[in-house]
Amino acid sequence: MDFNTAPEKFIVPIGPQHPALKEPGHFEFTVEGEIVTNATARLGFVHRGMEKGAEERTWIQDLYLMERVCGICSHVHALAFSLGAEKLAGVQAPPRAQAIREMVAELERIHSHLLWLGVAAHEGGFDTLFMYSWRDRETVMDLLETISGNRVNYSVNVLGGVKIDISDQQADEIRKGMDFLEERTKHYLKVVTEDETFLGRTRNIGVMDSELAVKLGAIGPTARASGLKRDVRYDAPYAGYGDFPVKVITNKKGDLEARFVVRIEELFESYRLVREILDKMPAGDLTVKVPRRIPEGEVISRVEAPRGELLYFMKSNGSDKPERIKVRTPSLCNWASVLVTAIGHNLADMPMILAGIDPCFSCNDRIVTVNRNVDSSQMDWEDLRRYGIEYYK
Amino acid sequence: MNIQFPALVALLFFPGGLFLLASGLVFEYIDRKLVARFQNRIGPRWFQPLADVIKLLSKEEIFPAGVVKSLFVALPVVALAAALTAALYVPLFGFRAAFNFQGDLIVTLYLLSMMTLCIGLAGANTEDRFSLVGATRALTQLFSYEAPFLLALLGPAIALGTWNISEINAGAGSQTWFILAQPIGFVVALVGLMGKLELPPFDAPEAETEIVAGAFTEYSGRGFALFKIGRDVELVIGLTLVASFYLGGFTNPLDFLWKTLALLLVTAALQSLFARLRIDQTVGLWWRVGVILVLLQLVVIIFGKLLSPVILPLVQSIFGG
Repeated sequence: MDFNTAPEKFIVPIGPQHPALKEPGHFEFTVEGEIVTNATARLGFVHRGMEKGAEERTWIQDLYLMERVCGICSHVHALAFSLGAEKLAGVQAPPRAQAIREMVAELERIHSHLLWLGVAAHEGGFDTLFMYSWRDRETVMDLLETISGNRVNYSVNVLGGVKIDISDQQADEIRKGMDFLEERTKHYLKVVTEDETFLGRTRNIGVMDSELAVKLGAIGPTARASGLKRDVRYDAPYAGYGDFPVKVITNKKGDLEARFVVRIEELFESYRLVREILDKMPAGDLTVKVPRRIPEGEVISRVEAPRGELLYFMKSNGSDKPERIKVRTPSLCNWASVLVTAIGHNLADMPMILAGIDPCFSCNDRIVTVNRNVDSSQMDWEDLRRYGIEYYK
Repeated sequence: MNIQFPALVALLFFPGGLFLLASGLVFEYIDRKLVARFQNRIGPRWFQPLADVIKLLSKEEIFPAGVVKSLFVALPVVALAAALTAALYVPLFGFRAAFNFQGDLIVTLYLLSMMTLCIGLAGANTEDRFSLVGATRALTQLFSYEAPFLLALLGPAIALGTWNISEINAGAGSQTWFILAQPIGFVVALVGLMGKLELPPFDAPEAETEIVAGAFTEYSGRGFALFKIGRDVELVIGLTLVASFYLGGFTNPLDFLWKTLALLLVTAALQSLFARLRIDQTVGLWWRVGVILVLLQLVVIIFGKLLSPVILPLVQSIFGG
C-alpha cells in the first residue's frame, strides 16, 4: 500500500480578527498536535500613511499627528518628534520643561506596563489579575488627566517645551498615587513570581538567551529580560534623563517570567523617578521660542518608549513642512523574537509569547518571515514593488 | 421531602424539566455574579442568562460549509436531553428522585458525559480549525477528569455499600459527613466537576485567547443556546451530586439550597484564583495527582470496610464500649 508519509500541515490562524489580539495582525502557527513547528507573521492591516501625511503638514501640525501614531505611548512619539525638531532648530527646551517631559514619560510607562500586565495575564487565562491591574491603572490614568486634561493623548509637548506646569497640589496627588501603586505593584510582583498556576504558564516558556536576543535585535524590556543592558534612557540620555538618571533593570533568565519581573521592577523604578523629579523639580520657564521654519538638516531622534527604543529620522528642507519623517516603532524589532521562540512550544503558549513582547500593531507595517524552508534571498527594488502590488491586490 | 412526583411531571415540569432549566439559569447567574465580584467587576444583572438564551434562540442558525447538517442540529438536542434525563435519578432540590435502581449512579455519570461527547463531536463535525483543536482538547480533558471524578463519587458509594444515588443521599445524612470522612474524595469530586463543566482554570477546550470558542466556534443561535442551557443544567446536577454525597445529603429544598450554593461559592472562588491550565498540565494534574490520591483513598475505604468487623469489637472491648 502506498501511504502518503508526509503529514498534512495543520495551520492555526490567529488574526487578523481574533479574541487574543487587540489590534489586527495575522499569525499562522503550523502545529503538530499541540506543538508549534512553524510560525509566520503578516502585518500591515492598519497602515495609515502617517509618514506621508506628516510631509503634507507643518511642523506644528505634525506634533498633533505624531502623538496619534500610538494610542498607548502617545507621549513618547510627540517627545521624540519635538526633541528632533528642537535639535534641527538648534534650540533646547528649558530644564523644567525637560523634567516635566521625563515625568510624563514615566507616568506613561507606568500606565503602559500596568496595561500590559493585565493583557498578558488575560492571554494566560488569569482574568482576576487582568481586572485588578486595570483597576489600579485607573489611578495613573486619573493622574495624567489631572495634570494634562486628557487620559490618552496628553498632548503635553510643544516644540520648544511643554504646555503644562505641575502645581504643588498636583504634585501631592501624584505622590499619593505613586504610594498607592507601589503597594499594589509589590503585590503583583508576588503574584507573578509565586502563583503556581501562573508560573506554570510563564516559567521556561519562550526562553531567549542574551546571545539570541542580540542576534534577533531585540530591544526594550524584552531584551532587558534576556540580560541585555539596552535602554536609551541610560545609553543616550535625553530630556531630563541626564539630571534624573534611571537605573536599568535586567534579568538573565530570558523567559516569560523574566519579562513579567523586568516590567514590574521597572514600575518601581518609574515610581522612584517620578517622586525624585517632583522633589527636585527645577524652576524656570516652560518653553523657548522655536522658528516656524526649521533649518535644513537631518536628525535621528531616539527615545525609550515603554516597549523599547523608538527611533525618528527627520529631514528638513528649510520650509515649514518636513521633507521626510521616518518612524521606527519598538514592536517591529521584537517580532522576530516571537516567531523564533514560539517554535517547539504548545499552541496554548502562543498568546502569552505574543503578548510577552507587548506588541503594538498599528505603528508598524512590514512583514517578517522566519524558518521558511526556502531561503528568502535579497529583494531588489523591482521585486519589492511587485511584492507590494501583489500584497495589496 | 418524600414527595414522589409522577414521572412525566418530573421529566417535564418539576423538579426536572422547566424548573430545572430555570434554576440552571439562576445558578449560572449566581456563578457569573460571584466570579465578577471576586474579580472586582460589577457582573451581570439577574435576568442576563435568560436574556442571553432568548436572544440566541431568536437568532438565525447558520450552517457552516462542510458540516453534516443533521448531526449539527441533533448534537445540542442530544446533549440537553441527556442532561435532563440524568436529572431524573438525582434528588434534585431535596425531593426524592423520580427513578432509582441499583447502579443508577453509573447511568447518571454516563448521561452527564454525553454533554462532553456531544461537544467533541460538534467540534469535529465542522471544518473550522479552532473547533477541531477545541474538540481534541475537550475529549482529552474528558479522558483526564472522568476517571478521578467517577472514583471520587465511588468513595461514598463503596462506604455505604450501595450504588443507588437515592440510598447514598439518605445514607450520607445518617452518619458523619463524607467531607470529613473522605476529604480527598470531596476535593477531587469538586475539582472534577469544574473540569467537567470546563470552568476556569480547566477551560483550555474553549480558551478564547487561543482557539476563540473551541468546539462552539461555529455554533450560533439555537444550537449554541441549547448547549448553554445543557451546561447550566449539568452545573445544577453536578452540584447536587457532590453536595448529596459529601455534604450529608438533603431531605428538603432549604437544605439543598444552602449546600449547593456553598459549593458554588467555593467553585467561583477557585475559578477566579488560578491562571488557565494548558491541556497537558490538566492531564498531568489529573493522572499524576488526582487519580493516585483517589485510588489511595479508595484502598483505605475498602480496607476499612473489610477490617471494621475485626477492629470495631476490639476497640469497643478496649474502651469498654
